[in-house]
Amino acid sequence: MNLHLLNRSPFSSRIHDDVLNAMGPEDQLLLIEDGVNGALDNAEQHLAGLEGRLFALREDLESRGLLGRCAENVIVVDVDGFVALTEAADKTVSWF
Amino acid sequence: MSDVMTAPLAGDDAGMAAGDLLVMLRHGPHGSSWLREGLEAAMVAAAFGREVGLLFTGDGVMALLEGQQVGPLGQKGSDNLLAALEMYDVERCYVDAAALRARGLTAQDVTLLPVTLLEHDEVVALTTAFSRVLSF
Amino acid sequence: MASSETVRTLTLDGRDIGLDAEGYLVDLDDWSPALAEMLAAEEGRELTPEHWEVIEVLRDFYQRFSLSPAMRPLSKAMTQRFGPDKGRSLHLMRLFPDSPPKVGARIAGLPKPTNCL
Repeated sequence: MNLHLLNRSPFSSRIHDDVLNAMGPEDQLLLIEDGVNGALDNAEQHLAGLEGRLFALREDLESRGLLGRCAENVIVVDVDGFVALTEAADKTVSWF
Repeated sequence: MSDVMTAPLAGDDAGMAAGDLLVMLRHGPHGSSWLREGLEAAMVAAAFGREVGLLFTGDGVMALLEGQQVGPLGQKGSDNLLAALEMYDVERCYVDAAALRARGLTAQDVTLLPVTLLEHDEVVALTTAFSRVLSF
Repeated sequence: MASSETVRTLTLDGRDIGLDAEGYLVDLDDWSPALAEMLAAEEGRELTPEHWEVIEVLRDFYQRFSLSPAMRPLSKAMTQRFGPDKGRSLHLMRLFPDSPPKVGARIAGLPKPTNCL
């Protein structure tokens, strides 16, 4: 199981398509930096099929005022959670 | 999961054989230095005897098109580095078929290197088969 | 190629030739066989026909790939051009002790190899 990190917004880039194409059925996706824009309700169409495997970094959500605006399927984690996800994964793959 | 790796497979199934480092190339030539840096990283690892694979995906597939030249400001392209890969024994080169299709390109267009086209499941298997993945 | 700075100069046939801090040519076009002899002599080496084989392969490699080779590709290129005995690292180490890719590149008038430590 790999952890994928995405720091680009799905509204301004289409890198999420490449991420989804490279993700295995158990791989997890953590949205960081501008990537957390993908936690909004309206981004669900772009990041479909990740039930239980879609995470967003709390600190980056907070700094953008997005913490209360996340879609239901997004699991919010803090930096410790980020570390835990990294530890649980075989490899971490960055997308930028 | 990938800690338990089977021995490299021989012959035509070598596509998913284990390896040390998979370098994902996601940027085309000229617009940034990502592509050249990724290729150089692959060559450094190979020079130290690591088993290296390359995956051209996203705009990275543009690196494989013929007819590239130096940029308007004299910037180096990447075709010379691609040509050198063989001298570094980097021989496992893969292309994301979906990235090609999205750009209206086919296997006939990617002529600079001998490559293996991979569909989604094979791309996933590839990232699992290598013990490290670097993204450029 | 990032342009390097001239730290010292050699004079060959009345012309000043700039070298960088590590002894590599600042202007690669300054290279000539006579300069190679001079650079080698500075390091206390005399160039034999076997050295010249390596220099030829190094310059050809750079011509083809715009790249100074690391040890493995240099060895491979030597094998392809002159056979396996000439590609052995022992042979290359004997001709250019310490680091054949670095020392060889310096004398052959190539940039310092970036992908070999």
